[in-house]
Amino acid sequence: MRNSLGALLAIGLAGLQFVAVLAVVFSSYVTSERALLDHARGLLNDVGTNTIAHSQGFLRPARGAAELSARLAQNDVIASDSPQLLEQLLFQQLQLAPQFAGVYHGSEDGDFVYVMRSSGPGPFRSKIIRVDGDSRTTELIWRNDDFSVVERRMDPEDTYDPRTRPWYIGARESLTTIWTDPYIFYSSQQPGITLASPVEDGAGGVRGIVGVDIEISEISEFLSHLQIGHTGRALIIHANGDVIAHPNQSLLKTRDSDGSLRFANIRDIDDPIAQAAFVQLTGDGQVPVERNNLSQFQYGGEVYVSIVMPVMSDKLPWTIAAYAPEDDFTAVIKSNRRTNIWIAAVVAMITGIGGLALANYIYKPVRAFAVRSALISQGELDPSEPLPKTYQELENANTTLMQQIAARKETELEYGQTFALSSRGMAQVEAETGRFIRVNARFCEITGYDAGELERMTFSDLSLPGAPPFLTQWNGGSGKDDEINHEMRCLRKGGRTIWTSVNAIRVHNQEGKALHFVLTMDDISLNKEKEEKISQLNKDLSYLSRDNTMGQLASGLAHELNQPLTAIAQNADAALMTVEQHPQADAELREILEEIESQSLRAGEIIRALRAFIRKDEGVRTVFDIEELLDQTQRLVIAEAHDVGAKITTDMENLPPVEANRVQVAQVLVNLLRNAIEAVAETSDREKHVTVRAGRRGDQVIICVIDNGPGVDPSINLFTQFETTKPGGMGLGLTICRSIVQENGGRLWHEASETGGARFCFTLNAGGARGAG
Amino acid sequence: MPNADSVVYVVDDDQDIRTSLSRALRKRGFEVEAFDSAEAFLDAYDGEQAGCLVLDFGMPVMSGLELQEHLNGLGFPLAIVFITGHGGVPESVKAMKAGAVDFLEKPFRQSVLVERILAASEEAIAKRDAQERNHQIRVRFDRLTAREEEIVARMISNPAEVSSKEIGNYLGISPRTVDHHRARILEKLEVKTVVELIDLASRLKDATASRPG
Repeated sequence: MRNSLGALLAIGLAGLQFVAVLAVVFSSYVTSERALLDHARGLLNDVGTNTIAHSQGFLRPARGAAELSARLAQNDVIASDSPQLLEQLLFQQLQLAPQFAGVYHGSEDGDFVYVMRSSGPGPFRSKIIRVDGDSRTTELIWRNDDFSVVERRMDPEDTYDPRTRPWYIGARESLTTIWTDPYIFYSSQQPGITLASPVEDGAGGVRGIVGVDIEISEISEFLSHLQIGHTGRALIIHANGDVIAHPNQSLLKTRDSDGSLRFANIRDIDDPIAQAAFVQLTGDGQVPVERNNLSQFQYGGEVYVSIVMPVMSDKLPWTIAAYAPEDDFTAVIKSNRRTNIWIAAVVAMITGIGGLALANYIYKPVRAFAVRSALISQGELDPSEPLPKTYQELENANTTLMQQIAARKETELEYGQTFALSSRGMAQVEAETGRFIRVNARFCEITGYDAGELERMTFSDLSLPGAPPFLTQWNGGSGKDDEINHEMRCLRKGGRTIWTSVNAIRVHNQEGKALHFVLTMDDISLNKEKEEKISQLNKDLSYLSRDNTMGQLASGLAHELNQPLTAIAQNADAALMTVEQHPQADAELREILEEIESQSLRAGEIIRALRAFIRKDEGVRTVFDIEELLDQTQRLVIAEAHDVGAKITTDMENLPPVEANRVQVAQVLVNLLRNAIEAVAETSDREKHVTVRAGRRGDQVIICVIDNGPGVDPSINLFTQFETTKPGGMGLGLTICRSIVQENGGRLWHEASETGGARFCFTLNAGGARGAG
Repeated sequence: MPNADSVVYVVDDDQDIRTSLSRALRKRGFEVEAFDSAEAFLDAYDGEQAGCLVLDFGMPVMSGLELQEHLNGLGFPLAIVFITGHGGVPESVKAMKAGAVDFLEKPFRQSVLVERILAASEEAIAKRDAQERNHQIRVRFDRLTAREEEIVARMISNPAEVSSKEIGNYLGISPRTVDHHRARILEKLEVKTVVELIDLASRLKDATASRPG
């Protein structure tokens, strides 16, 4: 199956456009998404890093303050046992950093100074516990920013002992600054952590512990201000799974069954997305990440990206975790992508239509060319019509095509002219039906029908009824020959029949099926007639030869016998005269001699009667064409001449018709020709020639048969009966010939030929001589 | 009886015929000469001897008929009796038309042949005599001078105007001169009158006309 150039062009141009646009869209789809995702992860990473930096920056002053306080106390810069000084120092420390909720110092003996921010009646409140032996006092002092006392009162109910608190125990045991785990501050009920630093006594012991409470809700506040996409969140998870910072602070705290507040664990926090994102991190209670862990997850049909960072430090085992819906980053791009796809589709469609139009434009001349070629091949368009504007290649193809068409037309024309002008009858006949397809003028002439009549006839209409239908038989037969020659009687229009020779050629298609016959027909009536005449002559001759040889013999004998009979009669007469002159003539002798004479005359009468009888059978003289007879007799002996390698040539003037017995003359001619052929057959040293020369002499025609054989021995009397040079011959041939010629009013004689052979001549009366005779 | 002035010429290619025929005719008193072909006869014949040709019709080369045609043109004192072994009617008709005395088929009755020979001989002799007379007249005419011939021609062509005056006027000469010529002419031609002269001239004319060629 061949593809149409038009379809190929359309599919090619439009399809290529479409594929190209799709490829660009797909590529941008993939690459932009990847870039955005990378961007999202980078953003999350930055959030984490920022949060870490912020948190550390947030906590670092606490550490500095605590350690400074501890060192001051340790170096007796302030007397740790002077609560007023200590309170003042701690007050100053608290004022340094707004994130400090409270700063305090607990000593080994149970003293405790605690400065914290207060909600009233003053902005700061100090709590000072003095232990002296078993007695203890707890004083609460509210102060203004300038350390002036707002209110002061004692709290006898207070039982607080710093030495039992976890921060004290932890710092004392480790003898270094420690961070407690985050917890909910009792007093402010805010989440926070405590930093505790020991005050050493210089002898390896501990005098007390300085602590700083830091509210870390500030970190949550920070987190809530972080912009992570539209709805992304960052949170800080402690190593035990507690969520210690969350943009929504209200989610941080949860109340235990005993009524105490604690941090919400990541497992039960009311933030299902965070749960889904990070709960598996704390499966074994420890956040396992050692480096930034970026991942992607699905929740509620939406795709999220997340990051989990390693813990900030050993002292602070906090993990920063952040998540954000992917859509926050890619939504715009996705909608942009949809728009792009639509634009691409529209562009592909428009360019496709443009491609189709372009294909059509390119293909149009080709289509026009194809249509034109088809019209030309159907003969509905003249090839000389100018070619519409088209391509160089098509013009070249057109030129070639035109040349081919011209050549084909010329061939057809030549064939047509050959067919039409042929001097032989030609016809084209359908193979199956024998119907005439076309005929030429000569064919019409031979058959007598005109072309219109023949085209309504079949070939068998030209055959005689009962004649074998050679054409259709051949058609049905399995013969492989594609040519047949046949002589048939052709039934002409009007019923006359003529002999024709038909040559038929069978024409096949490529599958070998016979399509039609091409017939060549010749009128061979004349030839046929000629052949029949010769054959008739031959028949007559053989008849003459067979049945009349005895007659001819008798005739020849009669002539030859008449001579001696005449002599006898003469001699008898002479004897009679002699006897009568004698005085004593014997009467009986005279009678005998008279009887001899009358008997010889009687014998002559008998012969004359015999000849008259024979002459009746000799047929009649007619006036006939001697040239034709010469031609026919030559044909009768041509085979014998060929056998001995002799050549017969004829040298004829324009001869008048002669008056004679045609068959008898033919016999003489055949006889003389045969003699000549036999004579030249004996020669071997030269070319064997027999020449028939005929000419007019007065009112006679003289015919000579000349050969270049050995000639005739002069001692032989050729025309004597029963004298022959031929073994087995009767010696009658020439004699009979001579008598035949004489009976026909001519003469026959022999003379030596100039070529050394024999020359036999005879004359016949011209047909016009009848009037004079 | 055979005429002594006439000779019988036998022309036949058959030796037996020649021999027997010559002998039989000689026995009957004829003078016979025999030839084996027409050519041989023509070679021997002098053209003056009156005679009867006993001629074989069918002979090789020159047939009897051809010899007859040939002789007819020459005016010889000969008459022909054909003898033939074939006896074709058309040939005999042809021969008779060409002046043959008869056409006899072999073998023939001797008396018939003799009779024909005698007739032929007479014819031949008559022919010869006529020729002889003509010859004599011719001799006399040959004696005339040119002027005399002129006058004779005038007299023969205009037999009604034969007076000396008329002829003199015609020829532009004097009647006396014509008279003189006339006397000489009559003398030379051995006639006594102009009527005889015209008669003589007409005989010569006939003979000349009857002589072919």
